[in-house]
Amino acid sequence: MLADLHNHSCLSPCGSLDLSPRVLVEQAAKKGIEILALTDHNTVANGSAFKKLCARYHIIPLFGMEATTREEVHVLCLFDTLEQALGWGEQVYALLPPIPNDPERLGDQVIVNEDDEIEGEVDVYLGSALDLGLDEIGPLVESAGGLVIPAHVDRPAFSMTSQLGFVSPGPWSALECVRLPPAVDTLGYPLITGSDAHYPEHVGRRSFDLPVSAEQCSEAKAHGRISLSVIRTALSNCPRS
Amino acid sequence: MKISEVIRSLNTEVVQGQFEDTELEGAYTSDLLSDVMANAKSAGALITIQAHKNTVAVATLVNISLIIICNSRPIPEDMIEAAREEGVAIIRTSENQFMTSGRLFNLLGCR
Repeated sequence: MLADLHNHSCLSPCGSLDLSPRVLVEQAAKKGIEILALTDHNTVANGSAFKKLCARYHIIPLFGMEATTREEVHVLCLFDTLEQALGWGEQVYALLPPIPNDPERLGDQVIVNEDDEIEGEVDVYLGSALDLGLDEIGPLVESAGGLVIPAHVDRPAFSMTSQLGFVSPGPWSALECVRLPPAVDTLGYPLITGSDAHYPEHVGRRSFDLPVSAEQCSEAKAHGRISLSVIRTALSNCPRS
Repeated sequence: MKISEVIRSLNTEVVQGQFEDTELEGAYTSDLLSDVMANAKSAGALITIQAHKNTVAVATLVNISLIIICNSRPIPEDMIEAAREEGVAIIRTSENQFMTSGRLFNLLGCR
């Protein structure tokens, strides 16, 4: 199934105001994406609109965020239910430093509904690093019912290689790369790509094929949801080099 | 000491040279932007290897007007663009953060 597990919305300070959850899901549907995740920086607050839109466009949603660890490594945290993701979102909010956002300089952080209407703003700057280490985030997300995928490990900023100098072992379900094969040692983990969309035109630029069986695929489509255990198994079958 | 004098004294590559030539009061050395944001209070100069656009955004929040990129790190075009818009100077050196901090320490007469 065509999947894209790394996408921002207008809620991320660096995300375009034009990339509402509605535009994201619409564009993804046009590109034929079947499994889509919304992963704003350190927040799940646009998850509710995203869920409604995915149902409308018959896309299977995953919920979560792109968390920033203390080392400023970006890590995708993914859940199969909005409730679990929101629970994780609450934990994360408590770990954000109380630095207010400055929309002029850092960008807007708007919460919107499924019709692009602004419902609020997040006051705390979401681009900050959490008071949470890279070695702590995996077990915490797992106990909240989710899985973790370190983001763009081969990018020269906000990645394991830029911040630590190497890919560090951990409970990762896969590693996300910008390019395959990656130019860094990925220790034999399954490898995927993600669009990391910040603008409407980015949606679908690096989707990947998630190897789900025909049976699991039709079941997921019939129910409009996919369980994380199916995702986990499919990720483990992704290429490792 | 003025930014232009510091740049002249360090004798290194000017990557973004459109800036207001103000007085440098001090400097901060860090490669974690969250640390810069939390602790670099009106630092003047930032000595770092984090060469990307976000460094400029954080610099403007804490009144950093000169970014010194160490170890000859490549600097992406969008970082230079952002710095030009904000009037933040960028220079690049082949030396590391320790050596650069030491030079600035002496230039600014820190004790």
